[in-house]
Amino acid sequence: MIVRDVICPFCACLCDDLDVHVEDGRVTGVDNACDLGSHKFMTDHRMKGPVRRTASGWEEIPLEEAIRETAELLEAAERPLLYGWSGTCGEAQSAGVHLAELVGGVIDATTSVCHGPSILAIQEVGHPGCTLGQVKNRADVVVYWGCNPQHAHPRHLSRYTTYADGFFVRNAFKERKVIVADIRGTDSTNLADEFIRLQPGGDYAVLGALRAIVRGKGDVVPPEVAGVSREQLYRIADLCKTAKYGAFFFGMGLTQTAGKYKNIRNAIELVDELSRHTKWTLTPMRGHFNVYGFNEVCTWMTGYPYAVDFARGMAFYNPGETTAVDILARKECDMCLVVASDPAAHFPAEAVEHLASIPVVQLDPFPNLTTAFARIQIPVAVSGIDADGTAYRMDGVPLRLHRVLDRGYPDDAGILLEITRRITGGGSR
Amino acid sequence: MILNTGRTIPQGNSVEYKPSPEYGAETSRAFLAPLDLMDLGIEDGDRIRVTCGDRSVVLTVSAGDHVPPGTLFVPYGAHANHVVPAATHGTGMPDFKGISVDVEPAMDPVRSVWDLMEDLGGRRY
Repeated sequence: MIVRDVICPFCACLCDDLDVHVEDGRVTGVDNACDLGSHKFMTDHRMKGPVRRTASGWEEIPLEEAIRETAELLEAAERPLLYGWSGTCGEAQSAGVHLAELVGGVIDATTSVCHGPSILAIQEVGHPGCTLGQVKNRADVVVYWGCNPQHAHPRHLSRYTTYADGFFVRNAFKERKVIVADIRGTDSTNLADEFIRLQPGGDYAVLGALRAIVRGKGDVVPPEVAGVSREQLYRIADLCKTAKYGAFFFGMGLTQTAGKYKNIRNAIELVDELSRHTKWTLTPMRGHFNVYGFNEVCTWMTGYPYAVDFARGMAFYNPGETTAVDILARKECDMCLVVASDPAAHFPAEAVEHLASIPVVQLDPFPNLTTAFARIQIPVAVSGIDADGTAYRMDGVPLRLHRVLDRGYPDDAGILLEITRRITGGGSR
Repeated sequence: MILNTGRTIPQGNSVEYKPSPEYGAETSRAFLAPLDLMDLGIEDGDRIRVTCGDRSVVLTVSAGDHVPPGTLFVPYGAHANHVVPAATHGTGMPDFKGISVDVEPAMDPVRSVWDLMEDLGGRRY
């Protein structure tokens, strides 16, 4: 059987044109997906059922017992951390926010270690965003700053920019100019019309120099800024100012580098400056397929996009204090529920160490590195493969993911609602 | 030297099954400029010890023309994060890029991801 027009649940491009071949309850092939998406559909290393860590190894336990023990651990904890959420659907995220409020915990998403700084900058100076359809149909100049879409979002260029013909850009490959800024050569910089090769940590200075030139204050720019010549900066500023429609995409090269949200603020203010001459927009290259969804769901429900602390009985938000890495590094939480992410692989060791000294429960289809710290792991269905749900694309467009097969696993939302029901005794909150 | 981490296709392909040899092999690679290999007296495929503060990790070297001299690029994962400091400077985001580290040739073997997790108090599954 071939299931057509499937949405890919790997990255936040949410490509919606996959054909998935299913035979005997297994995915046997995927058409149109990139390498990353294909591997996600084809990976077959799922955990069979819930497991609990014992003194000498692991034991399989019934789902009912795993849920009961998780509920007891959450209830007993004084400062639980509920972390992850980007690899699951909005329905589970909503259940997670309710659960965090119920137990007076902190809820944080992988946002805090990807585009959290972008959100901080957007909260300072706004978000001149647009849909990816606008980029595809209108943009004749595209910037990729501090990102390598050929490796992290492999179909971004073919669906929305370099290779995607649009309504007003009939021959994209010839008509669209692509500018890539990075500290190293990558498969993306190889495709650039202009490669801005920065010195490490030079992003803020180079963005500032471009702002000055666009504003007509180029005389203050020295001959070289963070490894970039003034001539190239003028050339790029001119290219950007004369664009009919420009689209600025950026990634971890800005958010994870010194300066963090101030880098992104400078990028937004460059886009603002350029929009006095022509039309420019800015879009973070979100990573996990539904990391944007968590920010949407959490904002509707609490007023804040991530790192929300319910310990006071109300939503409190203070990134740097209520973010997962900080809470773990301070050894502050006394229980951790991990849903649809892998902090042991992606957090600094100093933060991971604390997971070894507290009870950890993980909801994840696969054994991963956080499994090493889990007291209990409950395998769940993979959103978009064997579970339905809503996800938000990197431009904020919500899309409905449909399952392509049923492997009999429960979904995240169902488990979280059952944990909540046990804590409330079945009554409403 | 300056350590930068980031995503790669092989890392992303194996990210849903991190216990696999493919994931461990990719995240324990360090790309260095050929000039830096000469300075260190090592060749492509040799090993280096990367140290930041009181934490260190052994990685396998790959020569990369695309990497600026004075820097090393390591695919995002447990190996690099073994030395990434946890300080977030009030933003929630650690420095995953631009980290000042010491690099020296090493003879020790590269540790598996489960070895690293057990070093931190976890248990392999």
